[in-house]
Amino acid sequence: MIEFKDAEFIAPESGVTLVKPTTVTLPERRVSIIGANGSGKSTLARMINGLVTPTSGSVSVNDLDTVKDGAQVRRQVGFLFTDPSSQLIMPTTIEDVTLSLRRSIKDRKERHHAAMQVLADIGLADKADVSINSLSGGQRQLLALAGVLAVTPTVIVADEPTTLLDLHWRAHVGALLRSLPVQLIEVTHDLEAAARADRTLVVDGGAVVYDGSPAAAVAHYREMMLARAERVTTS
Amino acid sequence: MTSLLGIYRPRNTPMHLAPAWFKALLLLAVAIVAVLLTDPVNSALVMGACVMLLISTGPPLKPTVMVALALAVTSSTRMEEMLNLISRGLRPLRRIVPPETIGLMFALMLRVIPEVVRILSESRDAARARGMDRSPRAILVPTATRTVGFALQLGQALHARGIAEEGDAPAKYRRARRSR
Repeated sequence: MIEFKDAEFIAPESGVTLVKPTTVTLPERRVSIIGANGSGKSTLARMINGLVTPTSGSVSVNDLDTVKDGAQVRRQVGFLFTDPSSQLIMPTTIEDVTLSLRRSIKDRKERHHAAMQVLADIGLADKADVSINSLSGGQRQLLALAGVLAVTPTVIVADEPTTLLDLHWRAHVGALLRSLPVQLIEVTHDLEAAARADRTLVVDGGAVVYDGSPAAAVAHYREMMLARAERVTTS
Repeated sequence: MTSLLGIYRPRNTPMHLAPAWFKALLLLAVAIVAVLLTDPVNSALVMGACVMLLISTGPPLKPTVMVALALAVTSSTRMEEMLNLISRGLRPLRRIVPPETIGLMFALMLRVIPEVVRILSESRDAARARGMDRSPRAILVPTATRTVGFALQLGQALHARGIAEEGDAPAKYRRARRSR
């Protein structure tokens, strides 16, 4: 379970409040976060695995504090970025997955076997020895997900994981993410995907302005954005 | 290791006599051709021509052998094996340097090179699309800023994946971080 207790984040460089004091508890299996560009939804998501630590208040995952128990939290919370290229480190597919396992499995053969199993589960076993540079965008995102899944997290935070993908890969990666036996927190601009969650948060101006059922949250967000666009057009 | 930038030897070969601008142009042209070529026969021909050209300059033997050997090692060794080697090799010094982190730095260095080439190519295309293909600033500034952006994202991804966490650092660094 993820708990924000009065968690606020002020950017140290600019002094701008990116996330206003937020208190929310997320026990649901699938939670979507929607909001305009620059609304603070990605910062909110990054607070869940301690990539961004609260300036005040606290964020905890399964009772582990993201500041005090940062390393343990990151072992439980996998993070998927929008651009998978920035998440892949090793030159080939299999090596990138084994890199995630270096800490947990010391034996080389055992590590290789475990990595192959993860690749097989995700449908990339035939690309094991392929250079990451020759993978398509969708395959790269799958590989990034494999690197995350290799360490068996209990929570996955996905920050716009399908934004850079074509329709085929968007559907494939989206369905795969939703089928995983983990808690999924998905930041997205894809309102159809957002509507498939169990609960949706609408973020605007660094605050959660709506929190409820996906259908109602998406309708609220649409209304809010259309009203804003109308104001810009008429002014 | 001998620096590649300091291996000039005075000779009277055609390459030595050619003006610098010609050699720079040749280097650029061959680099572009090498990147564009996809079939193995033509690639081998270009490589053969380059080796002949190198031999014609009478290069100093030691650095040439070292570069060729480095190329042979990197093209025949998995990065994971390199990481294992570096980690094992540095294990006796683990109280001073973190072996896993040093190995990872090596992997990251090689990872960043093709990414910088990609960013440079995209920046060049973007400059060309705006009719600014002759402006080095229009190419180099976005390349530099995007490269820094990529490095920051890569750092965040390493952090998010829990790679090279505090537990990998030598004890004295862990103590120093905690006392901050």
